[in-house]
Amino acid sequence: MSEALQFFFISWTDPKLIALAAAGTFAGIYIGAIPGLSVTMAVSILISFTFKWHVNEALVLIAGIYLGGVYGGSRSAILLNIPGAPAAIATGLDGYPLARRGEAGTAIGLTTVMSVIGGFVGIFALAVGAPLVAAFALKFGPRDYLMLAIWGILLVGSLSGGSLVKGIFSGALGVIIASVGLDPLTAEKRFTFGSVGLTAGISYIAAMIGFFGVSEILAQLHELHIKGVKQNVDKIIPSWAMVKKYLPLSMRTSAIGVGVGALPGAGGDIAALMAYDHARRTVKNPSRPFGEGAYEGIVAPESANNAAVGGAYVPMLTLGIPGDAVTAVIIGALYIHGLKPGPMLMIETPHLFWFTVGSLVLANLFLLLFGLTGIKIFAKVVETPKPILLPLILVLSAVGAYAINNSADDVYWMLAFGVFGYFLKMYGFQVGPVILGMILGPLMDRSYRQAMLSANEDVLVFASEFFTSPLSAVILAALTFTIFSQTGWYRRWRAARGAG
Amino acid sequence: MASPRERLPGELVFSCLMLMMSAFLLWTAYMISGLKSATSAGSFPMAAAATMLVCSLIAVAQAARAPLAAGEPGESLVRQFFRRIAPPVLLWTTLAIVVYMLTLEWLGFVVGSYLFLIVAMWILGGRRIVLNLVVSALVLAAIYVVFQTAFSVVLPAGSLWQGVFK
Repeated sequence: MSEALQFFFISWTDPKLIALAAAGTFAGIYIGAIPGLSVTMAVSILISFTFKWHVNEALVLIAGIYLGGVYGGSRSAILLNIPGAPAAIATGLDGYPLARRGEAGTAIGLTTVMSVIGGFVGIFALAVGAPLVAAFALKFGPRDYLMLAIWGILLVGSLSGGSLVKGIFSGALGVIIASVGLDPLTAEKRFTFGSVGLTAGISYIAAMIGFFGVSEILAQLHELHIKGVKQNVDKIIPSWAMVKKYLPLSMRTSAIGVGVGALPGAGGDIAALMAYDHARRTVKNPSRPFGEGAYEGIVAPESANNAAVGGAYVPMLTLGIPGDAVTAVIIGALYIHGLKPGPMLMIETPHLFWFTVGSLVLANLFLLLFGLTGIKIFAKVVETPKPILLPLILVLSAVGAYAINNSADDVYWMLAFGVFGYFLKMYGFQVGPVILGMILGPLMDRSYRQAMLSANEDVLVFASEFFTSPLSAVILAALTFTIFSQTGWYRRWRAARGAG
Repeated sequence: MASPRERLPGELVFSCLMLMMSAFLLWTAYMISGLKSATSAGSFPMAAAATMLVCSLIAVAQAARAPLAAGEPGESLVRQFFRRIAPPVLLWTTLAIVVYMLTLEWLGFVVGSYLFLIVAMWILGGRRIVLNLVVSALVLAAIYVVFQTAFSVVLPAGSLWQGVFK
């Protein structure tokens, strides 16, 4: 225990790490708030710059950006009615009406405090839950990892509201991209087409920056002329009475956030929408009707989306399976630093786990500080015109891709994936599952082959083991339900049940 | 989505391209090690490519069944595509990005990025030229200093200038 505390406080006692936590959180708030910048995009670009750093420095910076970014999205949702991040979509439903009533300051103050509370609940769940999950995960066999990875990809594809078929297509495409190069087991060439350059594989950082950076910017070109209404921001620190009043709702929705965040593939955006729905169904007498500026309508999603951060770290650190797109990118960062997320990470490098928990707590405290200050300058910065902002992000993306290997080839890959990603997005193919497929592809490939070998390459034995092992059967049931819940039959059944 | 949705201009063509790409990838995956073993190097890529093939077939069928999104009166499908999916601002920006990235090593980071920023800001509708020039210079200076020092990123110096300054 004392050892855990010692690791926990590493980032609290090193001035450089404290500064990085502060800088990360501060930058995250702005990145999350500025429409057009996403946390996933920022972390993808950042990884290419930080891979020469010590792992602790990179992790503390990423923790700050992640927490700050999830929170920051709420600010532009409230001030401009443009969610800075998908996780803030639900916040805008009541946040913007509040701002129009002249209560932008109160709304921002309340979201800050509730985000911090949610953040702490999520981190607590991570600290308590992750060691238990990791211990349990030691029982997982290759078959289970294969199904968990597939489940994660399916959830990212389906829960984001897109087509399940297109989500699966994207995930499989990611798996193919990840398999380009030499097979790690047999050293056979896969999808290299005679090119020497392709034998080393395709850099997933270049792909990430392309899919999340360039394609997003191209998509934003359709919204160049959308302008928000400027708001006056005054008193932002909420009263204690207000905090106390909404604390129970915050705790309930934080629990939802942790649960959803911990599901492989589901992140803050789903958590926030589910929490908003929970508040709408359970709060009998909201401060105002939902959708017209109810405080409950900002408390619920903001508590949940920040709680989902801690939740998303659980499957990432314990199973090596990302909780959402950002954690998929963070897993990429861990691999770059020579770490292999999974149950053994907790056993072999417990210091890293407790360091991460400590860094998240530190970043959450900075979130409170930065969230309640500097709001007037902030209101100006988020109004940066897109004609200035978007080219700057493109330059940063190019620098990020170039920095991976000091090679223009990665820049070309980034560009190609960016343009391809744009068309995928336009036609309803989600890009999140592509990245998940890329990150999880090698794990899935290895797990499948290990499971098949253990069944002596007998397909029938391989298939029957999915049902004979209780753990595999449970995961298979969840996986099947996820697919089934996306079908027309299930929807019709639900509708008929609801009508009845 | 299960609910009927409109088909965007170019969606059917794109879905067909994805189908062809999936078929090609499946063939390429098969060529890795054929069907000699269930654990061969090509087995899992084959499974992934087959999944893509099935999904893209369904996507093509869905796109073919969906009614075409209504365009403006008398507008052809091609014109609708260029209005809704690939408007001029997108094509010009993409061209600027392509030129920027292809010339990055030749022009160097500073000159290439500065030119790109100014051109891209103009394309995107930023008409205050002096402001664009100043903002681009300041931000580029900041990026250069931060990335060279804090992140130790070696930015391309530009092969064009090596001969000039030697």
